[in-house]
Amino acid sequence: MIELDGDTMVVSFPDVHPAARLRITFQRTLRIPDDGSDYPLPPGLGAFPLRHVDDFAASAPPHWLRRGGVMLPMYQSEAMWLHFTSDEIEGHDARYPFAIRVAAGKVDAVTGEPWRDGLSATTQNYVVSPRQPWLDGFCVKKGTIRQFVAMPLGDGYSVEKQVTGREEHGGLQLQVVPMRRAAFERRFPKVERHRFAANASMVPNACADMFDGVVFCKAEMSLGAGGRMRQEISADPFDFADWATEPTSRCFVHLVNSLAWRKITGEAPPTVPFTAAEYNREELPWFEYYADGPALDAGLPLKGIKSILELAKAMGTNPLPENQPVTPANIVQLRQGLRPGQVREGSF
Amino acid sequence: MYDTLPIMPGEFGDYLRQRREALRADDPAFSLRRVAGRIGVEPSYLSKVERGEQPPPSEETVIRLAADLGEDPDVLLALAGKVSSDLLRIIRARPRLFADLLRQLRDMPEHAVLRLVREVRDGEW
Repeated sequence: MIELDGDTMVVSFPDVHPAARLRITFQRTLRIPDDGSDYPLPPGLGAFPLRHVDDFAASAPPHWLRRGGVMLPMYQSEAMWLHFTSDEIEGHDARYPFAIRVAAGKVDAVTGEPWRDGLSATTQNYVVSPRQPWLDGFCVKKGTIRQFVAMPLGDGYSVEKQVTGREEHGGLQLQVVPMRRAAFERRFPKVERHRFAANASMVPNACADMFDGVVFCKAEMSLGAGGRMRQEISADPFDFADWATEPTSRCFVHLVNSLAWRKITGEAPPTVPFTAAEYNREELPWFEYYADGPALDAGLPLKGIKSILELAKAMGTNPLPENQPVTPANIVQLRQGLRPGQVREGSF
Repeated sequence: MYDTLPIMPGEFGDYLRQRREALRADDPAFSLRRVAGRIGVEPSYLSKVERGEQPPPSEETVIRLAADLGEDPDVLLALAGKVSSDLLRIIRARPRLFADLLRQLRDMPEHAVLRLVREVRDGEW
């Protein structure tokens, strides 16, 4: 079951475990430069607003309504990362584990394969929460991702276009699979010490007024590959049989051009995020995250993926302003086993 | 306008005085005069409201009172026989739907009401 709690997507499986609950936020962030270097993790600048597509049946395109799901606003060349938090299970000293599939334009962000529902037993096509607290982009090699960066659907910059040759879906697709209850009880037996469940608290978005009188813009965005970042996709530490086959929850996340957001929702989109250079100038923190255990290699289709910048050079366009290299001055080290509610936070 | 419901005379005033006096026991800032000053009414008027000699004040004043005394504005409004105007707007936008819904929820136990959630709908993709 998927609900929205403000701008947090809450995926719960009350039939599996009353507290099997995963919270997902879509974090606004800086676009890291695409300059050949591997950057540390940029901060979260607050969650993107999330809305039910059904609430805007009168103004949203019919094919969005057919897909159902939610929507959020992104500017062209804006970046995002996904933050996963699962509730701590009282008495078990553990957070409930989930397998999470993430695709962009129905291309799997971990394997590069076209979307098919369900977990794959042969090639891991999911990340595991709580071990993997976030995902910032497409896995392009072991330990390296290319940042999720929004571009108008149909302009040819998306990973979907490169992998499938077509650009028709855009958006993000998610599927969440809980660990089987029996596997959870076996792996995380009850402990006597009691702890209280804790939820992640996210920074609310500051919405500000902007662009009036939109002349024309493509409303749908798709995700292309931005700059390179050091981020491991942790290998599944559990057995494949530990994951439930039913129930699962899936959701289409429509990425709406921020310039069209107001027309569709009547609400102002968030302001344009800081550039990496502006952020770094203030010596605000970047992050490195260390998890134990092996990491996944990239799927074949993603290994040679071209970034938006590389595609733009070939097309003779310049869709990414502000791409100067920066040297992160202040890097905060985070380790596996984050405190409840601990976030990658940066603010002016 | 159907935003005023019949209430027990004096109920709102009694509650108000009780809460304010409890706060004043620890903090003189909650004297009748100072509370009235902060929420922008005459002390004599507030005194009459507390004694039930005047009907409860306007929605805006009740909300200011709730904020000043640290009370839940919806609860205080309900005691004053009012429904906040944002709720009225919600109902007026789809009166039939919400009237039906509220009547159905009337006798439902609290935990069941709390479990009423809106799911994100998954479609074809």
